[in-house]
Amino acid sequence: MKLSKIAMATAGASMLATSAFAAGHEMQGRDGHVGIIYWQAASILNPYLSGGTKDIEAASLVIEPLARYDQDGNMVPWLVDEIPTVENGGVAEDLTSITWKLSEGLVWSDGTPVTSADVVFTANYCMDPEGGCQQLAKFGDVTSVEALDDLTIKITFGVPKPFPYGPFVGGQTPILQAAQFEGCSGAAAPSCTDQNFGPIGTGPFVVTEFRANDTISMEANPNYRDPSKPAFATLTFKGGGDATAAARTVLETGEFDYAWNLQIAPEVLDEMESAGKGTIVSGFGTLVERIMINLTDPNPDLGDERSTVAHPHPFLSDIAVRQALSMAIDRELLTEIGYGQAGRPTCNVLPAPAIYASTANDACLVQDIAGANALLDEAGWLPGADGIREKDGVRLSILYQTSTNAVRQDFQALIKQWWSEIGVETELKNIDAGVFFGGDQSSPDTFQKLFADVEMYANNFDGTDPEAYMGNWKCSEIPSPENAWLGGNMPRYCSEAYDGLLAEMAGTADIDERARLAKAMNDMLMQEYVIIPLVDRGRVSAHANTLEGVVLNTWDSELWNVADWSRAD
Amino acid sequence: MLDGTKPLVRVDDLKMHFPIFKGVLRRRVGEVKAVDGVSFEIYEGETLGLVGESGCGKSTVGRALLRLYDITDGHIEIDGSDISTLSGEALRDMRPRMQMIFQDPQASLNPRMTVGSIIAEPLDEHTNLTRKEKREKVAKLMDAVGLARRFADRYPHEFSGGQRQRIGIARALALNPKFIVCDEPIAALDVSIQAQVVNLLEDLQQEFGLTYLFISHDLSMVRHLATRVAVMYLGKIAELAPRDALYADPKHPYTQALLSAVPHPDPAGDRQHERIILKGDVPSPANPPKGCNFCTRCPKVMEICRSETPEWREVDAGRFVACHLYN
Amino acid sequence: MLNYTIRRLIFAIPTLLFISFIIFIILDMAPNDPTGNLPLTIPPEVRQKIRESLGLDAPMYIRYLLWCNQFFINEPLNMLHQWFGWCIGDCEGRLRVESWITRSPVVDSIVERMPQTLWVVGMSYVVSILVAVPIGVISAYKQYSWFDQAGTLVSMIGFAVPTFFTGLVLQIVFSTMIPSDHWAWLPSKYNTLHEVTDWQSFVYQMRQMAMPVTVLALYNMAQLSRFMRASMLDNLSQDYVRTARAKGLRERTVVLVHVLRNSLIPVVTVIALGVPTIFGGAIITEQIFGVNGLGALLIIGIQGADIPLVQTLTFIFAVLIVLFNLIADILYGLLDPRIRYE
Ligand SMILES: Nc1ncnc2c1ncn2[C@@H]1O[C@H](COP(=O)(O)OP(=O)(O)OP(=O)(O)O)[C@@H](O)[C@H]1O
Ligand SMILES: [Mg+2]
Repeated sequence: MKLSKIAMATAGASMLATSAFAAGHEMQGRDGHVGIIYWQAASILNPYLSGGTKDIEAASLVIEPLARYDQDGNMVPWLVDEIPTVENGGVAEDLTSITWKLSEGLVWSDGTPVTSADVVFTANYCMDPEGGCQQLAKFGDVTSVEALDDLTIKITFGVPKPFPYGPFVGGQTPILQAAQFEGCSGAAAPSCTDQNFGPIGTGPFVVTEFRANDTISMEANPNYRDPSKPAFATLTFKGGGDATAAARTVLETGEFDYAWNLQIAPEVLDEMESAGKGTIVSGFGTLVERIMINLTDPNPDLGDERSTVAHPHPFLSDIAVRQALSMAIDRELLTEIGYGQAGRPTCNVLPAPAIYASTANDACLVQDIAGANALLDEAGWLPGADGIREKDGVRLSILYQTSTNAVRQDFQALIKQWWSEIGVETELKNIDAGVFFGGDQSSPDTFQKLFADVEMYANNFDGTDPEAYMGNWKCSEIPSPENAWLGGNMPRYCSEAYDGLLAEMAGTADIDERARLAKAMNDMLMQEYVIIPLVDRGRVSAHANTLEGVVLNTWDSELWNVADWSRAD
Repeated sequence: MLDGTKPLVRVDDLKMHFPIFKGVLRRRVGEVKAVDGVSFEIYEGETLGLVGESGCGKSTVGRALLRLYDITDGHIEIDGSDISTLSGEALRDMRPRMQMIFQDPQASLNPRMTVGSIIAEPLDEHTNLTRKEKREKVAKLMDAVGLARRFADRYPHEFSGGQRQRIGIARALALNPKFIVCDEPIAALDVSIQAQVVNLLEDLQQEFGLTYLFISHDLSMVRHLATRVAVMYLGKIAELAPRDALYADPKHPYTQALLSAVPHPDPAGDRQHERIILKGDVPSPANPPKGCNFCTRCPKVMEICRSETPEWREVDAGRFVACHLYN
Repeated sequence: MLNYTIRRLIFAIPTLLFISFIIFIILDMAPNDPTGNLPLTIPPEVRQKIRESLGLDAPMYIRYLLWCNQFFINEPLNMLHQWFGWCIGDCEGRLRVESWITRSPVVDSIVERMPQTLWVVGMSYVVSILVAVPIGVISAYKQYSWFDQAGTLVSMIGFAVPTFFTGLVLQIVFSTMIPSDHWAWLPSKYNTLHEVTDWQSFVYQMRQMAMPVTVLALYNMAQLSRFMRASMLDNLSQDYVRTARAKGLRERTVVLVHVLRNSLIPVVTVIALGVPTIFGGAIITEQIFGVNGLGALLIIGIQGADIPLVQTLTFIFAVLIVLFNLIADILYGLLDPRIRYE
C-alpha cells in the first residue's frame, strides 16, 4: 500500500517533470542542496502546537496557508485563486462570513487531493478546547467553518469582521492534512509525535528527517504544484548556537546559504559582510521606536491627579514646542548608531505595510535646528539668562524617561544634546525594563503612568491590519487611576475627529478604504506631534551571494518564497 | 684483626650538596651541604656504625654511598670499582652488590605490590631464574628473615612494623649483596621488636658474610653491633674509631658530649660520668659556621677553631679525629 | 565487595527518589512559565488554555506522581518493548514523559542526541585523558624543566581561557581564514545528520569533531594534567621509589610501574567521577559548534520552562552521578589493596 503510493508519487512526479521539461522549463531539484541556519532550532513542525517564530517558519517550508502576505504586507493568494472580498462576493455584505475557494488540482505531497475537508479539519483541530492550540487567537469570533463543496470553505463569525483574514492567512495557520492528523485532535494532539514532526503538506519541501531542536533535513516535494520548483533537491534546516555564529557561517565561512534574524551589533555585521561571501538583507515591520509626549502635567504636587487629563501640561500642550522637539532630532544618525541595517528613520507611527504608510510627514527626516529655534522664537519661547527658553515663568525643562538599554541610553544622550541646541533643558532617567513595562500598580515608574514629560519605547502590532493598533489613541484608552492605568494612549491624546475615523474603519471592509482611514489617523497623530517617531526597527537576515530569489518578508514566514530560491551560476 | 682484612668500601672526600631554589624564577640561591667532605673505609665483614644527631646527614651519606644520589664531589669505591660517576646501565649492574634497608618500613614498600613480588622484583630484573626458582628463592628469603611463606601473597599494609622491616631485609638480601646500608632499620619499631631485628641482622651477617654500614642515633645499639664507629656532625665526620676505644675514650668534644648523654650500662664503672650539655642549636647545613663546624657549640672552643677547618687525621692506630685539640 | 556494591545500590534508591522530588519542587517553584516564550501577540486566555492542556492546573503532588509513573514504570516498559519486543500491558497507548516544547517523548530526544554527545564530549574526554596523563607524568618527572613550565603555562591558559573564546579563535582560524577548499579547513558547524559509512565520511566526521573536541579537551586536559602531575610528585618523593631504585630497576620501570601505577589511583577515580559530566554535555561548546547534544537540550528545556524535559534530564544526571560515585569507590577498592569494602 505504502509502496504503491510512493511509486505513484514518483511516477506522477516524473511525468510532471518530463512534461515541464518538454515545455522548456527547468527541472525541479536542479540546484542541489541549500542550507538554512536558524540560531534558534525548530522544536516541532506544527504551528498550532508552538507559536515560536522558528517553528512557524520551519513549518512554512512544508505546510501552507490559503493566503500569504508578501514583503509589503499585501495578501497574496496561495492555495486559492483569489482573495475573497466584499466586491468579489467572497465576504458577506454584513461582514460576518468569508468564503474561500481552493485552487483546482492541488495535491498533498503524498499525492492525495487537497479538499475543503482538510481546511475544515484544521479549523476544528485548532478550535478544540482540549488541544491547547497556540493560534487560537487567529480563530477569534469564528462560530463555524463548513465545507460547501470539495473546494469551497465558508467561515462564519459571531460578529461583523471588517478584516476577516485571521484564519488561514499567513504562516501561523497553515492547512493540515485531515487524513494524517485524524487521531490527533484535542487531548491527543501532543502525542502525535510523528505527525507533528513530519506533517504532510503542499509546500515545496517534504521532511525526510526531523531532529527536534537540532536539524531538519528535507527534499523537494515531488508533487509540488509547479513542477519546475523548488530549484533545490534537498534542504537542511540547522538550528542552535547564537546569532553571531549563524551570521558567520553564511557571511564568512560559506557553510550555509541563509541565516535568520541576526540581532547583532551593526558594526560586527558589516565587518562580516565585508568578507564578500554573503549579503545582509533587512525587512521592516511595524516596530517603531518612538517618543511619547505627555499632554498632561506630571507635576508630583498634583497627587492623585498627576499625569491625568485634569491638568494640561504647562508647555507641551503648546504644539509649537512639540513640533520643535521633533524637528531638532537627526533620525538618520540615530538609526546609524543604534540599528545600522536593522533600522530606518521614520516619520510615522504606522510605517508599514506599504499601503498604510503615509508620506505626508517625511519632512521630519531632515534635522532642522534653525527651523525649530525660529518656531520657538515665534511662539514666544525666548532664551533666558542660562540659555533655556521660557515664557511667563515656565521654563522648557523636560524629564525624559525610558527603559534601561544601551541603545536607548545612547539615544537619550544624543537627543538631550540636540534639544539643548534649541534651548530646551533635559533631565534623563532610565528605568529597569521589568519595572517600566511591568504594569505594577504600586510603582510610579511604569510607562503607562508616565510620571515624566516624555518617554521613549518601541511598540508594534501583530499581522498587517492596523485597526486595533490605531485604536490605542482613542479617548477611552487614556490610562488613569480610574481604569487602573490600563490603556495604550500614553500621550493622553483625545480628539473627536480621531475617534470618528476609528469608528468608520470598524465598519469598512474595503482594504483601500481602510488604508485611507489608517493613514489619516496616522497623519493626525503626526501633525499634532503627540508622538515623535524615530526609527522603524526591522529584521536582518543574511544570504549567500550564490543564493538568488531571497525576498525578506516580515509579515509572514521569512521562508515564504523558498520555492523561488535558486543557485546563481 | 683489622689489618688482615681489606676495605670493601672506600669513601674519599664525599660531598653531597642539595641546591636551594627560590623565587618565581627559581633562581639558585645556595645549597644545603648535607654531606660536606667525608672520608672513611669499611672493611669486609665488619659493621661500621654511623651515629649523629638528627639532620646531620647520616641518611644522605648512606644514600650517596649507594649512588641513590648524583654526588657533588668525591670518590666512592665499592668492591674495587669506582662507582662515583657511574650512571644508567653501568650503575644498575652494580646494584646487586650493594643494598639498603630503609628507616621507614611502611613507606619504603610499594603499597600496591604483594610481598612476594616485592622480594622477587630484583630477581626479575637481575637474574635469569625461572619462575619456579624465583618462587623457591623468595620462600627461602622469607624463611631466612622469619616470615611465614604463606604471607607471600599479602600486601605490606597487612603486616606489623617488625614484619615489614623483615620484608625490607628479605628484599635487600634477594640479590646476595656484599654490602648493606642499614639506615636506622629499627628506629621506627617498638623496643621489644628492635632486639629481634637486630639479632636477625647479626645472624644474617654471619650467615652471608655481609658488610654493614649501620646508621643510627642510638648509641647503645651501635655499641652492641658495630665493629667501628663514626660520629657525624653537620655533614662531616668528627671522629672515627674502633668501638671499644671510642666508648672508653672519646677524643672529640662532640663525641664526649654525645656519650655523656647515654645512660651508662654500669654506673659504678671505671670513669666517673658527668653529663656534658651542649648549648645552642645545630647550625643550618645551608650555612655552616666558618672554621670547625662544631665551634659554635664546642665547650672547648679555641680561637683557631673559628677560622680554620681542623684536619682529618689519625691520632692513634685506627683512631681518626678532626679537632684542633689534637694538633 | 559484591555485598558492598549491592548495599550501596539499595541505599541509592531512596536517595534518588528524594533527589527527584527535590528537583521537581525546585522546578515547580521556579518562576517560569512554559508559555512565557511565546510571541506577545498570543493573548492571555489562549495561554491559560495551553497551560491547562499541559496539565499545569493539577496540584503539584499529582504532577509529581504522574511523572514518577511515566518515568519509573512506563519508560522502562517502553524500552523493553522497543528493544526486545516484549509487550507488557498497553504497549502503544502508554503515556510517556513528554516534552512541552517538542510534544514528543523526552527519552527519545535524549537517545537521539546521545551519538553526537558521546562523539564530541566523550571523545574530548578520552583525548584529554590520553594527553593529560603523559604530560602530567613528564611534568612531574622533570619538575621545573622547560617542559614542565610550558605544561604549566598551557594548563593555565586552558583553564583560564573560557571555551567560548578558544572556540571562537579556532573557528576564525580554521573556518574563516583558511579557504574552504583547503585541506586544513574545518567546518564550524557540526552536522548531526552526518553518517559514517565509508572512509571519506569517517574523515569528514573527524574533521567536524576536530574543533569542538579540541576546545573541550584543552579545558579538561588542563585540569587533569595538573592533577596527574601532583599525584606523581606525591609518589615520586615516597620512600618506596627509592627502594625501587635501590633494587636496581630500570628508570623506566621505576617511573612507569611503581610511581605511575600508584599515582593513577586517585586520577582514575577523578576520571570516573567526571564521566557524568560527559552526559551533561558541554553547554557552551555545543552552542558554538552547533553540536546540539544533551547540554543544548538542557538549555532549551530551561529556557522554555519545559519541566518534564528538565526534570528527566537532571534526574538522569543525578542517577549517573550517584552511579559513578559508586564506580569510583569500587575502582579505588580494586586498585588500592589497602582499601577493602565489606
Ligand atoms: N633531597 C634533599 N634536598 C634538600 N635537602 C635535603 C635533601 N635530603 C636531605 N636534605 C637535608 O640534608 C640534611 C641531612 O639530612 P639527612 O636525611 O641525611 O639527615 P639524617 O642524619 O639522616 O637525619 P635523621 O636522623 O633525622 O634521619 C638535612 O638538613 C636535610 O634537610
Ligand atoms: Mg635519616
